[in-house]
Amino acid sequence: MKQGDTIEIRWHGRGGQGAVTSADLTAMSAIHEGKFAQAFPSFGPERRGAPVLAFNRISAEHPIRVRSGVVKPDIVVVLDPGLVTLINVVDGLKPGGCLIVNSTRSIEDLQGEFSGDWTLAVVDASSIARELLRVNIVNTTMLGAMIKTAGAIKMDSLTEPLEEKFGARAKANLEACHKAFDTTVIGKITVGGQKKVRTFAVAKQPTWSELLVGCAVTDVGSTKRFCTGDWKSQHPVWDDKKCIKCGICSLFCPEFCINQQKDGYFRSNDFYCKGCGICAQECWTQAIKMVEEA
Amino acid sequence: METLSIYAPKLVTNKEYIASGHRACSGCGEVLAVRYVCKALGRNTIISNATGCMEIISTPLPETAWEVPWIHTLFENASAVASGIESGLKSLKRKHGYTKEVKVVAMGGDGATADIGLQSLSGAMERGHDFIYVCYDNEAYMNTGIQRSSETPFGASTTTAPSGKNSLGQHTQKKNMAAIAAAHNIAYVATSCSSYPFDIMSKVEKAMKVKGPSYIHILSVCPTGWRCASNLTIKLGRLAVETGIFPMYEIENGKYTLNIDLPKLRPVEDYLKLQGRFRHLDKDITAEIQEKVFDEYNKVKRLAAGNKAK
Ligand SMILES: Cc1ncc(C[n+]2csc(CCOP(=O)(O)OP(=O)(O)O)c2C)c(N)n1
Ligand code: SF4
Ligand code: SF4
Ligand code: SF4
Repeated sequence: MKQGDTIEIRWHGRGGQGAVTSADLTAMSAIHEGKFAQAFPSFGPERRGAPVLAFNRISAEHPIRVRSGVVKPDIVVVLDPGLVTLINVVDGLKPGGCLIVNSTRSIEDLQGEFSGDWTLAVVDASSIARELLRVNIVNTTMLGAMIKTAGAIKMDSLTEPLEEKFGARAKANLEACHKAFDTTVIGKITVGGQKKVRTFAVAKQPTWSELLVGCAVTDVGSTKRFCTGDWKSQHPVWDDKKCIKCGICSLFCPEFCINQQKDGYFRSNDFYCKGCGICAQECWTQAIKMVEEA
Repeated sequence: METLSIYAPKLVTNKEYIASGHRACSGCGEVLAVRYVCKALGRNTIISNATGCMEIISTPLPETAWEVPWIHTLFENASAVASGIESGLKSLKRKHGYTKEVKVVAMGGDGATADIGLQSLSGAMERGHDFIYVCYDNEAYMNTGIQRSSETPFGASTTTAPSGKNSLGQHTQKKNMAAIAAAHNIAYVATSCSSYPFDIMSKVEKAMKVKGPSYIHILSVCPTGWRCASNLTIKLGRLAVETGIFPMYEIENGKYTLNIDLPKLRPVEDYLKLQGRFRHLDKDITAEIQEKVFDEYNKVKRLAAGNKAK
């Protein structure tokens, strides 16, 4: 259902990072401008740390009747730097559309990841958020980058919604927004500009006729096939000199993914580690440090 | 920290009965509790699991994280299904010469246990089925987005009991499920916490030896619902015990034993201040909570002391 002037936005983040808040604020601002808007997340069984989506539709003219997820966005915003190589963030992005990414990578480097007729914008939102908000939550910071690149809403209309949502913390959030606006670097992606082609795994769902009676699953422990390791934003690093081989880290890992090696020391399995930081917190000799993902 | 745990790798089986790749939040304490329970239960177990986080995160069709027979039930009937499985096993033994010893276990969150599944749990305990009920209590309906339950503590902010100008959040006191289970005159009731793996495992082992119903209530830290950092899961569980907010005890044939008896409790602030769900509490309310904690802790202490005197 085509609705004339409707702008569609898709937000990519991780559970707990606040992509839903970004979408909410965008819609509230648009409504503040007298436009029609909607914001909603996509729900799955995945939890804090897992890749999640949120959507916006904005129209200056019509009430918005479509209620389904956005599959052909005009604008894609990626809150987590790691997601760019993990999932196909440009899936369905319209020609002439905008891709806006939080990353410390250079624009030239990121241009090589994609092929299409799109605008690319890059901002180091994590550093801005850490500096001005003291947390690596970039949902408000990325709004600044989005406003500069795609202009779906106006900076001024953001003030009130921010105050409504954040109260006393609105000021710092607005500051982060402005800093992102000022430091976002904008360039072009071209068709055929991609250096390395990636394929993204899509899990196959069984059809009704393949299901066993009572939805029985006989493939015991089969979640082991699933990589939860890409949910993390930090990973543990061991300093074996400090390790007394007590095994506490392994006992308290909620992913059951810290194992003792042949030499007696412990390591996490990157395929499952969600980066919770429990192992580093609980190791009594402080042999483990959490290091941010690149 | 338990002194025992320094030799962790030598004391705990490497075998897991719930697999990695599950979809729980980063830092989930509930899945840790389930992991320890399963390690103690071992292979010859059938689990009947009420809906909730642990069901959703462990069985994303066509996958399953379980390595023991496991059945998903509704909210209200985990104990009824466990009753049926136990009766079926009995009948197999009587009529068909089945000999294997299989432990039947029902599991559920605090919502499934203390609210919606309470009648079927009470019925199963009253009828005397040979099963273990494990409640992993994260103090709200977390799977559907942090709605208050009767296990949500006084003063906690949830989505259905939010704090605000005219509300301090949850205004009722936490329901005492262990006492309710004990009132059924069952042989074994215990409380434990997701930060104490050895305590959980030894209590499950005790419960397995009981013929008839037994009940274990495990406080399980949920960083998402408690609004705390994911690396604090173990620390917060320990603080719940060390502040006396969640005493760990056993009730064996009606007799209380306090497992960790602290000469001096830590102030409740130590526990409350690390969690966003309590962030709005002022000094007066905190003092009120402190009072209540002393009261409840001393109640358990007296029950345990009375038992020693006999
Ligand atoms: C009768 C019924 N009401 C509501 C639901 C929706 N529902 C599924 S899981 C859940 C929350 C479970 O909470 P709890 O038992 O405390 O376990 P937790 O998710 O916190 O581990 C709800 C409300 C349902 N499945 N059945
Ligand atoms: S907890 Fe620390 S000291 Fe103990 S095994 Fe792990 S890394 Fe080594
Ligand atoms: S950070 Fe440590 S405890 Fe957490 S999932 Fe990774 S290895 Fe396990
Ligand atoms: S909501 Fe809480 S209990 Fe549920 S999976 Fe997440 S951390 Fe675990």
